[in-house]
Amino acid sequence: MDEDFIGIKNAAISFILEAEDLKSLEETKLQFLGKSGKLTLAIKGITKLPVEKRPAFGILANEVKNAIENALEQQEKILSQKRKSVLLKKIDVTNPGNKPLLGNLHLVTQAIEEISEIFKRIGFARIRYPEIDWDYYAFTSLNFPENHPARDDWETFFIKADPDKKMGRQVLSPHTSSGQVREMEKNKLPIKMLNIAKCYRRQSDVSHTPMFHQFEGLVVDKNISITHLKGTLDYFVKSYFGKERKSRIRPYHFQFTEPSFEVDVTCGVCNGYGCRLCKAGWLEMGGAGIVHPNVLKAGGIDPQKYSGFAFGWGVERVLMMKQGLELDDLRLLYSNDLRFLEQF
Amino acid sequence: MNIKILDKDLRKYLKTKATAAEIGEKLSLTSLSVEKLEKFGDDISYEMEITTNRPDLFCVLGVAREAAAILPGFGIDAEFVPLKLRKPQDGKDNLIEIKNNPKLVNRICAIVMNVSLGDSPKEIKNTLEASNVRSLNNLIDITNYVMRIVGHPTHVFDFDRLNTKTLEIVEAKAGDKIITLDGKNLTLNGREIVAVDDNGRIVDLLGIMGLENSVVTKETKRILFFLDNNEPRHIREASMNLGIRTEAAVLNEKGIDPNLTMEALLYGIELFEKFANGKAVGKIIDIYENKPKIKEVEVSFEKINNIIGVKIDPVRASKSLKALGFKNNLTKTSIKVSVPSFRSNDAGIEEDIIEEIARTYGYHNLPSALPPIIDPQSAHPFVDEFYFEQRVKNALKYWGFIETYTYSFVSESLFEGPLEDAVTIENPLNEDFVYMRNSLIPSLLKVVSDNKSYETLKIFEIANVYIKKSNSLPSEILTLSGILKQPNASFYEVKGIIEQLLFDLGIKKIFFRKSQRGGMGASLYIDKDYVGEIEVLDTDTVNFELNFNSLLKYATLKKEFKPFAKYPPITQDLSIIVAEEIKTENIVENIKIQSDIITDVSLKDSYENSRTFHIIYQDPDKNLTNEEVSKIRQKIIHSLTDKFNAVFKN
Repeated sequence: MDEDFIGIKNAAISFILEAEDLKSLEETKLQFLGKSGKLTLAIKGITKLPVEKRPAFGILANEVKNAIENALEQQEKILSQKRKSVLLKKIDVTNPGNKPLLGNLHLVTQAIEEISEIFKRIGFARIRYPEIDWDYYAFTSLNFPENHPARDDWETFFIKADPDKKMGRQVLSPHTSSGQVREMEKNKLPIKMLNIAKCYRRQSDVSHTPMFHQFEGLVVDKNISITHLKGTLDYFVKSYFGKERKSRIRPYHFQFTEPSFEVDVTCGVCNGYGCRLCKAGWLEMGGAGIVHPNVLKAGGIDPQKYSGFAFGWGVERVLMMKQGLELDDLRLLYSNDLRFLEQF
Repeated sequence: MNIKILDKDLRKYLKTKATAAEIGEKLSLTSLSVEKLEKFGDDISYEMEITTNRPDLFCVLGVAREAAAILPGFGIDAEFVPLKLRKPQDGKDNLIEIKNNPKLVNRICAIVMNVSLGDSPKEIKNTLEASNVRSLNNLIDITNYVMRIVGHPTHVFDFDRLNTKTLEIVEAKAGDKIITLDGKNLTLNGREIVAVDDNGRIVDLLGIMGLENSVVTKETKRILFFLDNNEPRHIREASMNLGIRTEAAVLNEKGIDPNLTMEALLYGIELFEKFANGKAVGKIIDIYENKPKIKEVEVSFEKINNIIGVKIDPVRASKSLKALGFKNNLTKTSIKVSVPSFRSNDAGIEEDIIEEIARTYGYHNLPSALPPIIDPQSAHPFVDEFYFEQRVKNALKYWGFIETYTYSFVSESLFEGPLEDAVTIENPLNEDFVYMRNSLIPSLLKVVSDNKSYETLKIFEIANVYIKKSNSLPSEILTLSGILKQPNASFYEVKGIIEQLLFDLGIKKIFFRKSQRGGMGASLYIDKDYVGEIEVLDTDTVNFELNFNSLLKYATLKKEFKPFAKYPPITQDLSIIVAEEIKTENIVENIKIQSDIITDVSLKDSYENSRTFHIIYQDPDKNLTNEEVSKIRQKIIHSLTDKFNAVFKN
């Protein structure tokens, strides 16, 4: 019996050392340690021995098993290493990889995602309002006088439909501000909303498309001040354009804010020194202001108790300002030429 | 609107040591936007953008006053030097009677003068040239120069060519014909403000442009120097309808301070005297019927500080307002302000006064602070419609789709269905953009045909479609559409994409049925809701369009954990030959109901009329034996034979 075990061990180890690949090593393993392997059978044979002899053989069998297993492990390491180096030699690392499919999201979608995320972090919730809206929400409730030029046929698109007695004509929203009074009418204060939507204006040239996108922020609460607008603007500018960019507000005029501001960001090309792409180091980003008391009133909010700020900036505009895309014709964005879309 | 003025002109009315660059920069920060400084001969020209609410800044004097008010805030001394005007020696008789209609014109100032026509002096020529106004002769140039300095449009008639005793201001009638001073024949629409002579001849298109029949010529000896302060709406309407956008029209439609009318007249008389041998022969006419109301506003410092966000020094605020022309006095807690006539169209409420105080304080001097994070009551779910929209877009992107953005409005040929159902634009930009689309597919097909060089192409878009409703706004339905174009495009590939997309959105209970539109393809239902279509257009093109709002109704991130099975499954394939019209779904259903321990059945393969199903048997409570499974298999075979006449292949 002693010899059996020793013989098995020697045979196994010599087979193991001779194995030239992992497959024959696996076969050897089965031959000795498998269900009907030589060692397995020999170990089963122990049970047929007289009881007093069993412990000694048990110990021996275990030793043999360990020795074989160790040898297997050693040889496996050696063979794997060998296999790896053979495989490596076969790889031409300059051959192309097998790529999974990858499409493209439109630049405007990418910008909207980024903008939403930035404002989400400072507590703005994105909300959607109608694209086709009543004159009341697009103009009247936003403090536009009856004869304001924005209502002219050559600035805003109107829908062929009978006007509503109270709400007026149907218009393609020329700005995201149409959501302001709709939000206020929900009668839930404070307000901290972000509205990103398609807007429409009756213009088409190298820097205008008749359909474009704006993002609008509206905050209404007690004691909201110009400093809050500045803070929000700074936060956005640094998050979206980068820490090195600066922003400023200048006086401007809009019907629905008072005071109103034009917002500038330092030019990313010249870093604010002034170049052919900017005005003395600054690029205009869009409008903002303190919500006009007439707008708060239209939304059922007491302007003596509450104040708010609002801004409405162009998605395409910030996209161009950030990327330095320098599209010589903005209409390219909506041409849907795949040679363009595939680049982003 | 932009204006260009010269530094030398500005400094006649502004005493300061500030350089032109400093003036430009400080004005931009606190007042109007100075967009460009340019060398102009030995002078410097400022190009400025004036917002529509501030026509008072559309002149040298207005800018000078503004600069004098804001420069001290930067620690730079500055003083405004107003025009010094004297009343000229005028005649005893008006020489012409002017009949005004106060509904059309607020104020008319006029005078008849003897003049000699000639060239303008250099200083006037420079100012005009810097503003891109061509110098013609001293008489015309002076009218333009006065407008540039004082900010009120002016007109000059040849008094002898006018040859009338009266001038009456009336609304034009539709069909009236005129020839403008630049020789254009126009037919009026009616409602334009015009002046007519004794014979009813129209001699002026007020506020917009003079006429050929009364304009000064080389022979002019006598002029009627005429200033009209008009009702702005009439001017806007006339100017836009006639397409004449002169500087006078642009200014007049914004409303000009009628207190300026006399100032401009007196300044003009002085210039005619100086540069055209002018001599007032008529009496100064001043018809002033609509005086601006002086508005008084009181605003508390509590409110001022609240809106601006810092504590404002009342004395400093009072001083700044005064420099801007707002007379005021302080109380213990507030400031009482009267709005100057040149700002009466623009300022009148507390917030206007706060703006003046804030901008002279300097927006750049204000700190930045984030508004407080809103209270927990206004929590907004992380997973909302926008979350799912982005998730779907990303999935499609990683499956190789390119996202498009096509216009919401389409041409007649791209509109699906009868045009009377279309949400239609009343004033389209052109014929390509007339109808608000009710499907994205035609737009996407156009993208396909515009990109012919692509043999294989996958595109998608998420956008609204618009459905007309009577007596209300159209409904806007967020829609997801896509097109797969490739040689032998497969219905099943598109179906698979939709199945995986919906699975990713946590949507169960989806059914595909024969297309309810009747074409080649399928209609998709979630539960009982119809959500959209897959359409096989031709051998190379398959498209889909889904109501995204409906998907959102069912989309969820809710997760459910199913404990792992304790006992191993047994899997079997079952091949049958069955008639083509028998639906796979029905066979699967039939197999499933044969036993509780059938946990899944799927079509593994199909070839001609043979189909192979993959069946998984699993008992949660014990190990299955082959005998148990073959019993069930027999049951399945019986049932399929009975029901579908199926024949078994093995």
